[in-house]
Amino acid sequence: MDIKKLTVSSSPHLHSGDTVRQAMLLVLVALAPAALFAVYHFGWYVLAILLTGTISAVLAETALLRLMKKPLTIVLDGSAALTGLLLALNVPAGAPLWMVAIGAFMAIAIGKHVFGGLGYNPFNPALVGRAILVSSWPAHMTAWVGPGLISSATPLAMQRAGEAVPPYLDLFLGLKAGSLGEVSVFLLLLGGIFLICKKVIDWKIPGAYLATVALMTWVLPARGQVGFFAGDPLMHVLSGGLVLGAFFMATDWVTSPVTKLGRIVMGLGAGIITAVIRLYGGLPEGVTFAILIMNGLTPLIDRYTMGRRFGAR
Amino acid sequence: MAKTFIGGIHPPYRKEGLSALPIERMPAPKVVAIPVQQHVGKACLPLVKVGERVLMGQKIGDVDASIAAPVHSSVSGTVLSIEPRPHANGKMVNSIVILNDFLDEWHPSALPKPHLDKLSPEEIVALIREMGIVGMGGGGFPTHAKLKPFPSPPIDTVLLNGAECEPYLTNDHRLMVEAPEKIIYGLRCLMKAAGAGRGHIGVEENKPDAVLALKKVAALYSDITITSLAVKYPQGAELQLIRACLGKEVPPGKFPPHIGVVVNNVHTAEAIAQAFTTGMPSIERVITVAGGAVERPGNVLVRVGTTFAQVLEARGLKGEPYKLVSGGPMMGLAMYTGEVAVCKCTSGILALTYEETGAREAGPCVRCAKCVDSCPMFLQPTTIAHYAMKGRVDDAENIGALECRECGPCAYVCPAGIPLVQWIRLAKSDIYARQ
Amino acid sequence: MRSLRVFSRGLVDENPVFRLLLGMCPALAVSTAAVNGLGMGLAAAAVLVASNILISLLRSVIPDKIRIPCYIVVIATFVTMVDLLMAAFVPDLHAVLGIFIPLIVVNCIVLQRAEAFASKNTVFMSALDGLGMGLGFTAALMILASVREIIGSGTFFGISVLPLAFEPMKLMVSPPGAFISLGLIIGLINYLKNRREAERGV
Repeated sequence: MDIKKLTVSSSPHLHSGDTVRQAMLLVLVALAPAALFAVYHFGWYVLAILLTGTISAVLAETALLRLMKKPLTIVLDGSAALTGLLLALNVPAGAPLWMVAIGAFMAIAIGKHVFGGLGYNPFNPALVGRAILVSSWPAHMTAWVGPGLISSATPLAMQRAGEAVPPYLDLFLGLKAGSLGEVSVFLLLLGGIFLICKKVIDWKIPGAYLATVALMTWVLPARGQVGFFAGDPLMHVLSGGLVLGAFFMATDWVTSPVTKLGRIVMGLGAGIITAVIRLYGGLPEGVTFAILIMNGLTPLIDRYTMGRRFGAR
Repeated sequence: MAKTFIGGIHPPYRKEGLSALPIERMPAPKVVAIPVQQHVGKACLPLVKVGERVLMGQKIGDVDASIAAPVHSSVSGTVLSIEPRPHANGKMVNSIVILNDFLDEWHPSALPKPHLDKLSPEEIVALIREMGIVGMGGGGFPTHAKLKPFPSPPIDTVLLNGAECEPYLTNDHRLMVEAPEKIIYGLRCLMKAAGAGRGHIGVEENKPDAVLALKKVAALYSDITITSLAVKYPQGAELQLIRACLGKEVPPGKFPPHIGVVVNNVHTAEAIAQAFTTGMPSIERVITVAGGAVERPGNVLVRVGTTFAQVLEARGLKGEPYKLVSGGPMMGLAMYTGEVAVCKCTSGILALTYEETGAREAGPCVRCAKCVDSCPMFLQPTTIAHYAMKGRVDDAENIGALECRECGPCAYVCPAGIPLVQWIRLAKSDIYARQ
Repeated sequence: MRSLRVFSRGLVDENPVFRLLLGMCPALAVSTAAVNGLGMGLAAAAVLVASNILISLLRSVIPDKIRIPCYIVVIATFVTMVDLLMAAFVPDLHAVLGIFIPLIVVNCIVLQRAEAFASKNTVFMSALDGLGMGLGFTAALMILASVREIIGSGTFFGISVLPLAFEPMKLMVSPPGAFISLGLIIGLINYLKNRREAERGV
């Protein structure tokens, strides 16, 4: 018997077969129901926004990979498409398409490639894109609309203005104004639970995040109010981008902590910042900045939450 | 719920069918090449000369060192040469090449030993050394050296490892089913030698027949417990096995005797029983021959010194293997040639095809933390690997690189396909090089 | 020939903003509009030339141990002159640039040229060096400010240059925009430089 060519490499000699691409596709699948609901709820124009965001991000990724002289096949990992879709889900339903395209380009270029591409970006690219859009075209980014693109205030803004907020069921099902991906809390929860079951994300970040926001908005009086334990935590959890952010943005692999305790800290920190902005800040919503700030703290969190090693006390 | 540890993974078994195959004896080959080093520690010096006739079971190599074990001839015949041959550790190792005369004439020293009740602990330890018994799970640590270790508290438990958590491998499984009396006898020898009051065997619960067979024999002894363990890799890693069976953790940088435990493989116990009851030193062992490129996989009793190529020839190959692995797929070593000899610590020979290895190109780390969640030592494989890539030796040491046991779940689960174990090995060797 | 090199060095190869990353504070803060960039750049250039000349003249007189305070006094004198002149003749620009004119006193470029060049070279060379560095600083500010003004406000020197349909990207005139545009411009310059060196086979 003669064996001609043997490959020698370090153990293990088996692999699970899991790929980054698989995980990205699962997240896209998990987001699909909420995205389709947005099309149903707001109208066909939303489909144009979703396509513009996704395609622009993929084109931007391809162009930048070319510029950086990296293999173009990287674009197939699906991370750029996911970033583009997440960005598109984070704009009002009446947003101009050119703005979505610029946002997607900025998310990929400034949010990701200036740091070295996938895996090296300290901040969630989609949220970087959204932050750039918010500070560039604030009028467009706060032009909230309801079904049929008729302008309407978001529940959080209504609550700030002292107006009546839609009933909980409407908030839960998505019959309200807001960023197009954040409206259907029900479908987002379904997608989130799907990802937890598929072990793509860890329950700890969304769990800690939602619990912290609920607790703080329940216990603490908002600006101008008095008395503790008088808040409306359910309204706060069901409104704004919290569920979208907690399940799909704060859990971003690259920009969240790798330790188990660190993931709790991430959810806790994002929850505290979100609640503080909502209750006392100048803006009605704080999910974007809460997650971006916690992204920045992620290396620090990882360092200090390393936990005990096997056998150590 | 079955007992287990924290972390770990569930790789495919790939033992289907294999575990039902009885152990087959493979005839000794015409020529055997017995490496003078088949254990951790100091290599043996040859005790025979070229041209000399040697007998089966004759001691042909030994060295005066505390961590070493002698080697014995696995056939009777004439010494053809003493020369460096490829070894499973990747290096060239001095090997005694013997031409088999197929007489299988036993050396007069190979006589049954007195019953263990008539032996003192010191005599048992001395016999274990003399018979060349080493850890047969893959480690190859001389067993006698485990029994009289460092200054430590008295040993209270001898734990036998029958988890066999590596995919493909079923040799221990078959041994537990076919020779449970020997394993229990070997365990009792070890308990007496170590002065331990308790004996324990941990078996993964996917081997119910093995658990049953062992329990049947162990029922005679009140001080021996058989524990059924959850099926999870690396259940059979020493530290994880202790955690699962005894609920204790060995502190970082310490060894099991520190908490009064000695761990041995079931095959080692069987070899001890064999040596004591028949007088045969450690010259043959059961190995699993498997993998997509093997025509007739099976559990084979092989003489030490048979080459991998001879074993594979006997079992047949279909197509070119992509990798030839000595041991299990998770921790085994990839061979560059089939001219490597089976030694006492070879648990399996795997001829794997490209498809079944799932080999792939590595991409950038996406910090998914799957490696962190799967690490049974609670380390951060991705961070250690990152430090290794950047040459940050101190940082790698500070976050516990030296505690890595290279068991492999991190690299197995990595969706980016990063060879994390390889990077951590680099980090460890950098740390050792600096010390 | 040497004088030409001394002069041109500050413009390109050792451009204070893009190559040496000096004077970042005013560069990032006042580069919201081209006219601010021009004003700030010229003010700094005037101080640079004047202080370089005077420090070069005094270089044999200034004791080594207290040279930094001496440089600061010289620089502060010229900054005060420029500050008052601008307040008198271009009050609008002066109001926009505000604190950044007095802050030229502690501008790294001015102090660095005094320490690294003027204190060791002749008056003529120091003047050339100050002029080159000053104009390099002005050019860098102009480039940065033009990019930010055109994209962030849609204007150039206050005149609308883009079609009405263009909606200015406000981010570019806000502080994060300053960092992003500076980073991208430096990246582009490094890219061009590397390519030129690769072509030359360096």
